[in-house]
Formats: sequence, C-alpha cells, structure tokens
Amino acid sequence: MSNCPTAASATLLAVLAASPQGGAFLSATADPAAQTLNGFLAEVERKAFRMAQMALRHDEDALDAVQDAMLQLARRYANRPAAEWRPLFYRILENRIRDLQRRRTVRGRIMAFMPWSRDAEDTESDPVERAPDPAPGPVAQVEGSQIGVALQQAVGMLPARQREAFLLRNLEGLDVAETARAMGCSEGSVKTHYSRAVQSLREQLGEYMT
Amino acid sequence: MNDEPEPSTFERRARELLQESVGNLDASTRSRLTQARHAALAARNASPASALSGRNLPRWLDLRVLAPGGAVAAVALVAVLLWSGSAHHPVNDSSGALDDLELLTDSDGYELSQEPDLDFIEWAAAMGETDAVGA
Repeated sequence: MSNCPTAASATLLAVLAASPQGGAFLSATADPAAQTLNGFLAEVERKAFRMAQMALRHDEDALDAVQDAMLQLARRYANRPAAEWRPLFYRILENRIRDLQRRRTVRGRIMAFMPWSRDAEDTESDPVERAPDPAPGPVAQVEGSQIGVALQQAVGMLPARQREAFLLRNLEGLDVAETARAMGCSEGSVKTHYSRAVQSLREQLGEYMT
Repeated sequence: MNDEPEPSTFERRARELLQESVGNLDASTRSRLTQARHAALAARNASPASALSGRNLPRWLDLRVLAPGGAVAAVALVAVLLWSGSAHHPVNDSSGALDDLELLTDSDGYELSQEPDLDFIEWAAAMGETDAVGA
C-alpha cells in the first residue's frame, strides 16, 4: 500500500498552498499543537454556530461571532492546556453574542431617530420584535418534523443565561461543573438556570416532544 | 462519581433534535466555518496587526499600512501647526467682549448717571469747542 498522497489530496494541498491564508494554515497545522487546536475547533464550530444562530437569529452575525471566538481562542489561549479550551471558547462566544446583541439594540435605537427609517420595516433590530411572543408561540408552527425548528425558536426566546445553560448542557454536552466554568458562575446557578429553561420549554413544547 | 440526575425524556429528545440541527447545516455555512477556522489557526502565532488582516479586512485598515501613513500625517500636522503659529498672530477677539462685560458690571457707570461729574462735563464741553475752533 502506497503512502503517496492521492491526486485529489495533492491538488487540494496545491490549492491551499497557493492562497495566502491556505499557506499559513498549512504551516500552522504542521505542528502538533496546531493540529490539536484544529481538531478542537472543527469539533465545536458547528455547534457554536447553532448556538449563536439561536441567540442572534441572524446567520451572518452568528458566523461573525463564531469566527471572532475562534480567533480570540487561537490568539490568546492556544498555549493553555487543551482541557481548558472548551469552557474558554464558549465563554468568549457568549460574550461576543452579547456584544452583537447590544450593538444591534443601540443601532436600532439610533435608526429609530432617523427620518428615513420611520417608514422602514426594520423589525430585525426592533427590541419589541425580539421580545417573547406568548401567542401563538412556537407550538403553532409545529408540524411534523418542524419540531426541531420550533425548539430552536423557543430556545432563542429564553433569557440569555437560561439559553446558555440549556445549550451548553444539551447541545455541547458539558456537565454542570464545565458549564459553570463556561458561564463564569456557580454550579448552583447553572442548575437553577437550566431547570428554569427546561420548565419553560416543556410548557411550550412538552406535548410535542414526547 | 456522577451525581447528576438522569436526563428526562424531554431532555433526551431535545438533545436529539439539537444534534440533528447541527448535522443538517448547509454546505455554504460549513465551508465558511472551515475558512474561519483556518484563519484562526493562521493567526495563532501572528501579531495582533496580522491577526486583524487575517479577518479579510480591507488593505487600508491593515495596521502595517496605517502605521507609516499615520506617522507621516502626524509629522505634517506638527509642521503646519509650527508654521502657522509663527506666521500668524491672531487678534485677541475676546478683549472686546471682556471690555463690554466690565462696563456692564462696573458700578461707576451707574454712579455717574446718578451723580454727574460736572467738572468733567464742563471740561469735555470746553475741549469740544476748542476742537471745533481749531478745525
């Protein structure tokens, strides 16, 4: 059995090496530490995107948040033990999500004073629009396989700390202690936020989730 | 020892649905996440300036480009300030306003109108007549 790279992988390497970013990536992944970090980021990036997407309800903002979290982790904490990366990464990500939410709120307030925005339907940045709407709620949108979408919408409407605790436990699979480290709070607080989140979601979706 | 309670049926179902949603991400989003990861790895050992450039910022926002330009602009600004400072002596425009303020707050003016200085008035009238004759 030959150890030579296949034609496809050789082509991929050539393409990567040709681009500035790809060249840097290849040199970065040449050392084992970079490979470990690459593996970690590859493992968390999609879950992180879903978390950010549920919180921000905007794909581009969610991608920005994940990219910033990756950059910060790589630049500032890559030399820390790999076991610390997960809580650090999610803490950075949550901070970034809140920054984006605050920025969106401020932008909405400023735009509200602009004369040309009076007629515009900029509901995306409207805090009223972002507030939970108890009726009809996600349940009304549940139709067969739509339960997943309804769950994501309901999670997105949870208060920030409850959403964070629920997703870190159920999407990322962290235990209570890891979740507490990621959220920067006590384990007791995590349990409280989590149980409230579950209770709230069960009230909205319970009969469709069993 | 794991003292955490077993997840309920609701929680297990929620986990399944959330994991499914991660698996169902579209190709475009997955590709962009991969690009973001590569950029983060490339910036791992880079300086903050080059890390900024790793975020696909416009070239004019790159600190390596901004720094020399900023230095030249600062030197030019200092030169202009020094030149204009030596060539131009602005009139103290605030002196007039201060004089007006002094007149308004000066109690002498009020006393003059209440108790006229007759000697001064006579002198001023005499001076006026002298000027008229001289002209």
